[in-house]
Amino acid sequence: MKKIALLLLLAVAVLISCTKDPVADVAPLAPADGPDQVVFDPAQVPYPTLSAYRFFKRPMRAQVPVASVLPYAPISSLFTDYAEKARFVWMPAGSKATYDGDGNALQFPESSVLIKNFYYDGVQPGNTRRIIETRILFKRNGQWEFADYVWNAEQTEAYLDMAGSTTPVTWTDANGVTRSIQYRIPSAGECQMCHKIGNTPVPIGPKPQNLNADHAFADGVRNQLKKWVEHGILEPGYPKNIMTTVAWDDPTEPLELRARSYLDANCAHCHAPDRQCSYRAIRFQYNNNGGAANQGICMEPEEPVDPSLTYNIAPGNVARSMVHFRMGSNDEALGMPLIGTSLVHAEGLALIEQYINSLNQTCN
Amino acid sequence: MNKLSALFAAGLLGTLPALAQDNCLTAIPITAGTYVVDTIDGPEVPQPVCASGGNTATRGEWYVYTAPADVSVTVTSDLPENVAVTPGLDTRVHIYTGTCGALTCYDGDDDNGSGYLSIALFNLQAGQSVYIAWDNRWNARGFSFSVIEGEPFSEAVSFTNVSVPVTGTLRAVVDMNNDGLDDVVGMNSETIDNVTYTTGVTIAYQQPGGGFSAQTFPTAQIPNTPSWSLCAGDLDGNGWNDLMIGGGSKVTLLFADADGNGFSTDTTYSQYIFCQRTNLVDINNDGLLDAFSCHDVQPNVYFLNNGNGSFTFYQGGLGNTPGGGNYGSIWTDFDSDGDVDLFIAKCRGGNQVVSTDQLHRNNGDGTYTEVAAQYNLANFTQTWSSAWGDYDNDGDMDVMVGASSFSSGGHKLLRNDGNTFTDVTAGSGFDTFTGTNIEHVTHDFNNDGWLDIMGGANTIMMNNGDMTFTPNPVGFDVSSVGDLDNDGYMDIQTGATARINNGVGNNYIRVNLVGTVSNKNAIGARVTVTTASGSQIREIRSGDGFRFMSYLGAHFGLGTDEEVLQVTVRFPSGIVNVVDNPAINGTLTVVEDINTSVQDLAKQPLVLFPVPTADILFLSGDYSSNKPVRVFDTNGKLVVQTMVTGNHINVGGLVPGIYVLEVQTADGPVQRSFAKD
Repeated sequence: MKKIALLLLLAVAVLISCTKDPVADVAPLAPADGPDQVVFDPAQVPYPTLSAYRFFKRPMRAQVPVASVLPYAPISSLFTDYAEKARFVWMPAGSKATYDGDGNALQFPESSVLIKNFYYDGVQPGNTRRIIETRILFKRNGQWEFADYVWNAEQTEAYLDMAGSTTPVTWTDANGVTRSIQYRIPSAGECQMCHKIGNTPVPIGPKPQNLNADHAFADGVRNQLKKWVEHGILEPGYPKNIMTTVAWDDPTEPLELRARSYLDANCAHCHAPDRQCSYRAIRFQYNNNGGAANQGICMEPEEPVDPSLTYNIAPGNVARSMVHFRMGSNDEALGMPLIGTSLVHAEGLALIEQYINSLNQTCN
Repeated sequence: MNKLSALFAAGLLGTLPALAQDNCLTAIPITAGTYVVDTIDGPEVPQPVCASGGNTATRGEWYVYTAPADVSVTVTSDLPENVAVTPGLDTRVHIYTGTCGALTCYDGDDDNGSGYLSIALFNLQAGQSVYIAWDNRWNARGFSFSVIEGEPFSEAVSFTNVSVPVTGTLRAVVDMNNDGLDDVVGMNSETIDNVTYTTGVTIAYQQPGGGFSAQTFPTAQIPNTPSWSLCAGDLDGNGWNDLMIGGGSKVTLLFADADGNGFSTDTTYSQYIFCQRTNLVDINNDGLLDAFSCHDVQPNVYFLNNGNGSFTFYQGGLGNTPGGGNYGSIWTDFDSDGDVDLFIAKCRGGNQVVSTDQLHRNNGDGTYTEVAAQYNLANFTQTWSSAWGDYDNDGDMDVMVGASSFSSGGHKLLRNDGNTFTDVTAGSGFDTFTGTNIEHVTHDFNNDGWLDIMGGANTIMMNNGDMTFTPNPVGFDVSSVGDLDNDGYMDIQTGATARINNGVGNNYIRVNLVGTVSNKNAIGARVTVTTASGSQIREIRSGDGFRFMSYLGAHFGLGTDEEVLQVTVRFPSGIVNVVDNPAINGTLTVVEDINTSVQDLAKQPLVLFPVPTADILFLSGDYSSNKPVRVFDTNGKLVVQTMVTGNHINVGGLVPGIYVLEVQTADGPVQRSFAKD
């Protein structure tokens, strides 16, 4: 039944393709197991539809990349209202990224594309998967640019939309908890808020510190950096010893490293040098957040919210810790992160609470 | 009598050890000395809360103290025996006047001592009693405290806490019912799923005899809240202040109903706007109030008033920096040329272009030119707000650009020297003041005739009159400012607590304006008050500081001057009205009046007579007799619409007062004010 409907759709697509821009319409024709045919013309991107790039095999909603598109995942990822994410990278044949420090994003070649699908499982009614948006960063003329594609209800196509919007999502998670939210799809300005150094757009996730771990690829488990080299998209010869983050939710890892990894993934895109909020003294990037001063331990907040919040982190005392207060607030002017979430991340907050309670310095 | 009975009750019940100090009625009478609290386990929780740290305590310990003479009293847990305890103790104390069950915060402290220990310091008069109550907000562990008496101290400015029955999130102190008294506005909200909606407006109306009476007006379920800022003004000219809601992604205009008794109309604009400071101001000087919002991450936005209840969205022309960085917009006439200009306090990590402050000079034709560099104001201090006032009383607006962080320079006090602003921070007191804040506002808090500045460290910087400022800690943060007890001293509303200025005996005058040709609130007007000591200026602004809305008039401290020689009001229309020798220590209301404008702006020779009139009002001059004539009251409410019969209209049905008559002429509408006996 489904196959018939699909064929019907195909037929319609063929008909349409006779009269419309061929670039936009070849994608639906790509055979599910067909040759690698990513389409990326710097003069034409961003395309009006996601399918035009032909990053994925058909049906696109299965999120199975074509051979030249490689999936990846950071060791600890940003919390965005419990959305699931599938990330992919593509570079033109023959071009490679290069290492630029453990804590810096790789240096990507021209026409590189980073692809990130945001989806929920257990979406009600029907308990189905719903892909909401696909965010793309692509590099053109040496500059990263944003493109956001919003998926249609049929999950057959996603359309370029940089205006930002909200869409209601109700889903039941693996623990049986049902939540309803107005999911925020960012506008271009919101993308830029986090994805920048100075005022220059940058990727955040693909740093060696976040990639240097095993990942389950379709053809087996492999260290991601090694896989990138084998895939021909990363210059070999990067350092052997990479200061690597840990999975914040892995209880076998040391508590401090889990907390620092979490703070890096969720906070460091603003709280690092030359970022949106670098004028505040705290520094949360993993390779710089090992010291008490940079974490805000015993540091008085510069913006008074409540005098009882005496330090950004008050050792052993979450009730007096601004970091804990802001992470636990969903007031849009007080809660942190500033954008990208509207729910309090209870599990992340519990980790930071555990970490603060483990500290016993005396503040002077 | 109350004090005696309280002491009597305490003494009587104090004989029952099981109950002693567990509640207010069994409070143990104490004198100067040191006392031990074994554990905080009394069932009566100290209420209201008089210190920071919120309202989650569950137990209390109660004492009562009576001053043997006029004394200062220090109640402190910052004692060596407490400091020595590990892990560190964490205390909180509340100091009350009043009777059990009806207590009023007199003082209180959480953390003034070392570590998390507490020190409360206050003056009492001989025979005056206070309850001293410790709570278990942080923990219930035992500790010692001392009560120490000393010489009474004097403060440049001090405040007494009063509870105000406002609910929701405090955002404004402004007169909402046109009775000349500042009211307190809280915004109610409800979170459904992950979206927080504005659901109502609570107004605690200041009562003519003092105190407040609150009323909550439900609104529609508006998917936006004033999390970032709120401002107020009569956008639609119906006589009642409307509200502009600046949220994290949207702007909403919320309109007061025609009867002033609700907010049933609202417009939430679809554009993505990361609001910071919002302002209502007549941007294009067409007599209609417009709405402006700083945008955190994009060029600033504004909504021009079409005059028919609709507003048109614009983005660009008033701060176009890619990446935004726009935090604190203040509309001020920095060049004293009669039109409002725009200063934007800016902030952004890692980008000096985005964080460089801007000054947009009004070209007088609805366009603006960015001239900050020309005036030495293009600084990249990380700032969220600036306080504009004439700090040296020389007739132009100076500015204190308040640092939110010292990472790119500190506070900057800049003196307006006409063709430039001169940095006079060195030696001003702001060079050594380490408090930071996102809020900076200026008012004359001690009515000495010099504008003070409130910013970080819960401190008011008192103006010494020579462009130097002295810190005066007050123990609470900047918020909405107005006169909440109608005593001529500026008070501060923080949450549901009014910080009532105790005053120091200086004189004052308040000038409230009613625009007729200009916007109804006369936002953008400049008021000059001249006394024997010289002149002071103020501007009418909707939206100063960063987040809050404050008093929409002009407040002047007069020091010991007993007489105001002249009040001059320059309205945004250009009309200038002058009042000679007004009464002091009260409110002067000036209605914009083209007839008496001292500038030659009355091009239409329309004359009304007799004024005042009991019933018949004659019109002489150029007007269209076949077009309706309209009469408005001082709230801007239409009270008469009629045709001219012969050469007059009958206004006998109006209650006595000041009115504005509007006729149509070949050159458009012309307005004249008149008095009805």
